Amino acid sequence: MVQVRLSAVTKRFGETVAVKEISFAAAEGEFVTLVGPSGCGKTTILRLIAGFEQPDSGDILFDSKSVLAVPPEDRRVGMVFQNYALFPHMNVWKNIAYGLKFRPGIDKNKRVCELLKLVDLAGLERRMPAEISAGQKQRVALARALAPTPQLLLLDEPLSALDAKLRESLRTQIRRIQRELRLSTIYVTHDQEEALAISDRIAVMSLGSIEQIDTPQEVYAHPQSQFVASFVGRSNQLEGVVIAIEKECAQVQVGNVFFNTTIRGATVNQGDRVALFVREEHLRLEDSEVNIIPARVAGLEYHGESTIVHLESSVGPLRALASEVANSLHLDEPIKVSFSQGNAILFTRSVEEKREETDFAKIRFT
Amino acid sequence: MVQDSSGWLKTNRAGRIALICLPLVFLALIFYYPLLRLFQEGVVEEGRLTFRYIQEVFAEPYFRHVILFTAEQALLSTLLAITIGLPWAYIFTRYGFPFKDTLRSLTIVPFVLPSITVAVGFILFFGNNGHLNRLLMSLFGLEGPPLRLLYSLKGIVLAHAFYNAPIITRMVHAKWERLDPAYEESAQTLGAGRVRRFIGVTLPMLLPSVMTGAALAFIFCFLSFPIVLALGGARFSTLEVEIYTQFIVLYQHKTGAALAIIEIVLSLLFTYGYIRLEGRFTQELEAAPIRPTIPLLRRRLTLGKGTVWLFVAASGVLFLGPMVSIIVDSFTREWAGRTVLTLHWYSYIFQPQHEALIGAAPLRSVLNSFQVGLAAMGVASLVGLPIAFVIARYRFRGRRGFDTLVMASLGISSVALGAALLAAFLRPPLQLSSGLVAIVLAHSILAYPFVIRAVVPALESLDRRVVEAARSLGATRLQAFRDIELPLIRRGLLVGAVFAFAISLGEMSATIMLARPELKTMPVVVNDLRAARSFGGASAMSCLLILVTGGAFIIIERFGERLFGGERWSR
Repeated sequence: MVQVRLSAVTKRFGETVAVKEISFAAAEGEFVTLVGPSGCGKTTILRLIAGFEQPDSGDILFDSKSVLAVPPEDRRVGMVFQNYALFPHMNVWKNIAYGLKFRPGIDKNKRVCELLKLVDLAGLERRMPAEISAGQKQRVALARALAPTPQLLLLDEPLSALDAKLRESLRTQIRRIQRELRLSTIYVTHDQEEALAISDRIAVMSLGSIEQIDTPQEVYAHPQSQFVASFVGRSNQLEGVVIAIEKECAQVQVGNVFFNTTIRGATVNQGDRVALFVREEHLRLEDSEVNIIPARVAGLEYHGESTIVHLESSVGPLRALASEVANSLHLDEPIKVSFSQGNAILFTRSVEEKREETDFAKIRFT
Repeated sequence: MVQDSSGWLKTNRAGRIALICLPLVFLALIFYYPLLRLFQEGVVEEGRLTFRYIQEVFAEPYFRHVILFTAEQALLSTLLAITIGLPWAYIFTRYGFPFKDTLRSLTIVPFVLPSITVAVGFILFFGNNGHLNRLLMSLFGLEGPPLRLLYSLKGIVLAHAFYNAPIITRMVHAKWERLDPAYEESAQTLGAGRVRRFIGVTLPMLLPSVMTGAALAFIFCFLSFPIVLALGGARFSTLEVEIYTQFIVLYQHKTGAALAIIEIVLSLLFTYGYIRLEGRFTQELEAAPIRPTIPLLRRRLTLGKGTVWLFVAASGVLFLGPMVSIIVDSFTREWAGRTVLTLHWYSYIFQPQHEALIGAAPLRSVLNSFQVGLAAMGVASLVGLPIAFVIARYRFRGRRGFDTLVMASLGISSVALGAALLAAFLRPPLQLSSGLVAIVLAHSILAYPFVIRAVVPALESLDRRVVEAARSLGATRLQAFRDIELPLIRRGLLVGAVFAFAISLGEMSATIMLARPELKTMPVVVNDLRAARSFGGASAMSCLLILVTGGAFIIIERFGERLFGGERWSR
């Protein structure tokens, strides 16, 4: 297996910069996910690593050796495409065996059987791609990519065309196989939940740059930018002004409500315009001593194991994730909600961030 | 820079450049060099540039008349083709009837049916002593033939309409069928009557298709050779016939070349105009569902249906009469004042002995045709495939120039092409050892655009990522092409190759310029026999041609889905 490193890679298509000075590394056997809205450059990165595109500047290294001079067929990279890109004129067996043609050392029959078993497709060898289901196609594509023992696996939105249940079971399967083979893997998705569930580390991308690269837990708990905070997980976003600072704590006025929040990382001054992010599971449907918002129940969305409570309040609409408590709530019922001081994430709103945020709003709500 | 150090990128780039340049170099040699020689013939004398011959052409009233007549007959033919083709487009769109799909498929026939066979069929059916006149004479007890169509403008225009009406039908029907009925319905709710709805709403929306089809038909008629040669007689000559006469009959190469230059300039202008027109009018076919149709056979006979039946019967006579006449005449013979069934004409066309009417053995021409056909199919595929690949896959500066260079041959008439190859390859310094090669080259040039047309859509519909998947599995670009792209475009390639074969088999105009007696192909022999008024042999050989090109047609229809259904003729 191989360690992959991108160093200040830039790729332009005509006027647009698809990938802007990107640097990151995936260690041997590591599962790194690139996640971001469509058009953020994540697929381009995969295509650069695979050798289908050549960077305008920067370098791509496998085990500290540049691969820019290596053609795609010699990079030993297995790739799974969003639409699977199976060879329509070859049956399942031939699809999987195709890459072995170029690896004379491997026993073809044995290897194909091994892979069919690995992805649980034994018995379908003679079927043509048009005759199998989308989930089966996806597994054939995975088996085909794995057959010639690649040193790196690239997956480009491999699950996006499948329904939710199948998506979950397949992503578990992909992760299991990846662990078994200790295969360095770079995975691309626009689905942040999928990214959180499957990865060793996540790189959150926006407009051709990586906003943050970290473990799923870290990205979720400590987003480094407003974009990351709003893209990963579901949050209530409150906008206000800092009116006082006391040690590690800032007092923020949002409308006519005052909140106390712990400051982490960001430097905040009195008078700054800020955005507060409160995850929906951190908004408690109960009174407390600080950070209380009077609200009214505007809607209840029952999800089985949980309920999303939609609220109207003087600081705008809010969403709260509740467990059993919600069963006793009624529409239009007045209620007090609150969050603890440590659970709010604070960002100062620079002009730039405002713009990004509107970009993001477009993506999320359209 | 990093890029410069990568050997594989250099190899890639070299491969691309080779793929772009190789077809161009080949075309330069077999197409542009001959054109240059033809121009040289027309405007260079004793090493000096002279416009004498071109001026002479324009000064001579006879040549001026020929040029005007060429345009006149093309215009009239196009109008008649619209008159016949448009109602058929309407019938196809509005009515349902048995064998409609088959009939609709047959509209592609003009692209493959050798036009000399059409000419022979017209003489046999519409001729003064033809089946139609004989039938009318016996029906009405007439003394002389009531219809005198041949060897006049009428005959030429009728045959051209026969040939080009299906093109109009095909193009207009493709559009009409997908025209959203909502347009007409909303006009109806506004109180527009049927005629006003057609003139005010439907026709304007069909006009682009009609215009594009008409422009194409005009170019075909302008450059048509075998039909005018056979049906025009001595009095009616077009530019094509005149070029042939100057080169082959009168040996006036200078005057012939001057005429050819004039014709090439005109035809390139027309073709350019056509491509512009098409580009302006090309709209995506509407996604609207295909319109429902009214059954033509069942229920009451209305006035509308009656008119349709009359029209169908009349055009049935026009289209089937000549074809049936050929078949009938190939199997019959006058014997002691009676008409008897015979296979004589078929044994005649396969005879290996010398035949004075042709100047060679008939069997020789059959063998020549198949030999040339197979060779032209190979060459056209080898030229067309890389060009199609470049068109479908590469974007580069100068792409428009590339497209123009590889498609210019569509705007050159066959006789002019034959004259050019004659000037280039049948005399030093590049004289070919075998004239057959020159014929193969002529046919390849005429056929390779059809290969491109058939292959490009196949390549374009192929997902780039399938090829990339093969690359990442270890295949080089060449291996990926061999293992993935080639098998996936093989239908398109098959259709293109079969098209090339059919075109070669039916080609007469360029061949007649290049063929010495022992090199004659079947269409040339059909023309010889026609000229010698040996119609039995001409019919039998026409039947053979129709049979083979008909087979090609079946393959094309089977595998080339809607190949010429859209409005695009050339890219």
